[in-house]
Amino acid sequence: MEFLVCVKQVPDDSVEIHLNPETGTPDLSQADPEAGAFDTYAEELAVRFIEENGGSVTVVSAGTDDNKTCLKNSLAVGAGAAYLIADEGTDCLDSAQVADLLAAAAPKIEEQEGKKFDVILCGKESTDAIGGQVGALLAEKMNLPLVENAVEIKSTDSGISVKQETDTGFMMYEVSTPAVVTISKPDYDPRYPTIRSKMAARKAKIPTLTLSDLGISDLASEAAVSSLGFAEPKTRQAGIKINESEPEEAVKKAMDQMIADKAL
Amino acid sequence: MSDYNKLTDELIDQIRTAANGHVLTGEDVSDDFSRDEMPIYGTSAPEAVVQPLTTEEVSAVMKICNDNRIAVTPRGAGTGLVGGAVPLYGGIVLDTTKMNKIIGYDLENLAVTVQPGVLFKDLADDCSRQGLLYPPDPGEKLACLGGNVSTNAGGMRAVKYGTTRDYVRAMTVVLPNGEITHFGSNVSKTSSGYSLINLMIGSEGTLGVITELTLKIVPAPKKIASLIIPFEDLEAAISTVPKIKMANLNPQALEFMEKEIVLSSERYIGKSVFPQKIDGVEAGAYLLVTFEAKDEDELNDLIDEASELVLEAGAIDVLIADTPSKMKDAWAARSSFLEAIMAETKLLDECDVVVPITHITEFLTFANATAKECDLTIKSFGHAGDGNLHIYECSNDLTEDVFKERVDAFFEKIYAKATEVGGQVSGEHGIGSGKIKYLRKSLGETNMQLMQGIKKVFDPNLILNPGKICYIPED
Repeated sequence: MEFLVCVKQVPDDSVEIHLNPETGTPDLSQADPEAGAFDTYAEELAVRFIEENGGSVTVVSAGTDDNKTCLKNSLAVGAGAAYLIADEGTDCLDSAQVADLLAAAAPKIEEQEGKKFDVILCGKESTDAIGGQVGALLAEKMNLPLVENAVEIKSTDSGISVKQETDTGFMMYEVSTPAVVTISKPDYDPRYPTIRSKMAARKAKIPTLTLSDLGISDLASEAAVSSLGFAEPKTRQAGIKINESEPEEAVKKAMDQMIADKAL
Repeated sequence: MSDYNKLTDELIDQIRTAANGHVLTGEDVSDDFSRDEMPIYGTSAPEAVVQPLTTEEVSAVMKICNDNRIAVTPRGAGTGLVGGAVPLYGGIVLDTTKMNKIIGYDLENLAVTVQPGVLFKDLADDCSRQGLLYPPDPGEKLACLGGNVSTNAGGMRAVKYGTTRDYVRAMTVVLPNGEITHFGSNVSKTSSGYSLINLMIGSEGTLGVITELTLKIVPAPKKIASLIIPFEDLEAAISTVPKIKMANLNPQALEFMEKEIVLSSERYIGKSVFPQKIDGVEAGAYLLVTFEAKDEDELNDLIDEASELVLEAGAIDVLIADTPSKMKDAWAARSSFLEAIMAETKLLDECDVVVPITHITEFLTFANATAKECDLTIKSFGHAGDGNLHIYECSNDLTEDVFKERVDAFFEKIYAKATEVGGQVSGEHGIGSGKIKYLRKSLGETNMQLMQGIKKVFDPNLILNPGKICYIPED
């Protein structure tokens, strides 16, 4: 089975992000970039699959040259090849643009690798924008079947069976390939690279696909979303302490306050 | 001299006035104030809890307690492991957790001034947001900085940066008689008489009450990565440690852990990080090493050199955590050892002995054999880079009396062994009430008397945290 895994580079989500007062944009200087968590689950799922059944895993990311670090990390944990989509305007993309780029890149990568992808995997959502749209848009643009929030993929005679996580349990699907599948958190964690795989990945060449390589002449017109600006959430106001020792008085004061605040 | 006076209603009123009402009594005093995180050393309730907001409130309360010979036990978040914050003789607990303001940074002198109740984690996060690092890194991130200073907390980064002691520049202290004084200053060297600030550091609330601290900070490293290094057994892992140090690789952290404790911790946090089998070889122990560098190339060079060294020394493989989430997961497992052991254990005691790093293997072999001899289950991990070992004694089936008896027999032997190889009773947790007996044997009477003399100079009425480190009222 041949997998293409789409990886988004995101800032470390354990760092509290604030707006830079001068630029009004999120200050990411203390948040190191890494692959989105669900994208790393997608790659681990694919690598486990090919270890058991054979095949290959190729990763692709759209962004800037910086994304090569994240792609090399993917190579160190089981991907056999990595591609970067980078050009003017690819540093700030909305979901529709990313899906366009990926849809155009998939056949180009197939051409270069000399193989057809059976399954295209995306994380179910990124950990920065949390849009959760790229997988569905990509399936639509490529006219492929889609299963979202999957935690397991198995091969069948006619394609793949996919175990989807739902709010109440699991749903099983049988899907023909090629297909797009978005991945939720399986019951295992992504592996760590070893020194050998890391050293090999550091030396790997990552081809860059430009807009002209992909036959896209006007990326900006593909945008479906425009950003109006950023604002920090309001800081929580200190609460009001009700110190009355008698329960009746305490309840009355609490009720009065809630009525005054229009909470009741 | 255990005849401390009890708090009368009149004294409580006086204390309430002195502390501007920040006093808890009766049912408002939660059981938490009777214990720390190692209740095996006994629990004891205070008669009142004072939660001051200012140095002046601490001063006014201390004066009343000193004049009336009321025992006072200073306390931060209560995360200690040797009974240090337990008010063994009643009186008041002076809870500094409401004094929790980061007062300000002096970036040109690389210092930050804080109140003692600021949590370690809050300062670490605040520094991180500004590209700074407060280097001490004790396992318990929710401890107060006042408590860190009072126990000279060490932690993971001690191998490179030293312990809390190395980062305390100045402090405001309220003496037992209520007098407010200042020790140290924001300078990087001093030769100005006895180092009173260094007497306070590690004094576990027995000499004075710290109400403000000026701490040294450093610029945060630009690039950081950890290596998870599996070995077939502990001896192979530990014998690699001096080689890493001799190669001048200067790791920021260098921890060892046995497989059993890693499995406990992974069960506890629900994540599997440390590989159990690599190419058919079973891992029995691990080193977890962190390196820091000014850029990616320098970091990669360090990783490559360290990997080559440990593989030659017998490591099964080297796994690399160089992304934020992988680093976080690797260290989450390490940081959860205590909680994981607590979750699986009914009776627990701990020894945080420190030995020269060249004696770690010999000492652990001795400890394992002694545990067997004493019919006791132990789990070990520790700071391989500085020889500070955490050996947990665990039981789910013994009665408390039998457990304590066996632990005592075990401690007598292993602390004697530690002393023999040039070690010390505690690397970073302190003495509290739990380790006085072993400290006395390790240091000898002369040194204990010197400590008692110092205690009496600071605290002539012996009201501050009685029953800890060197002073037991009944003796």
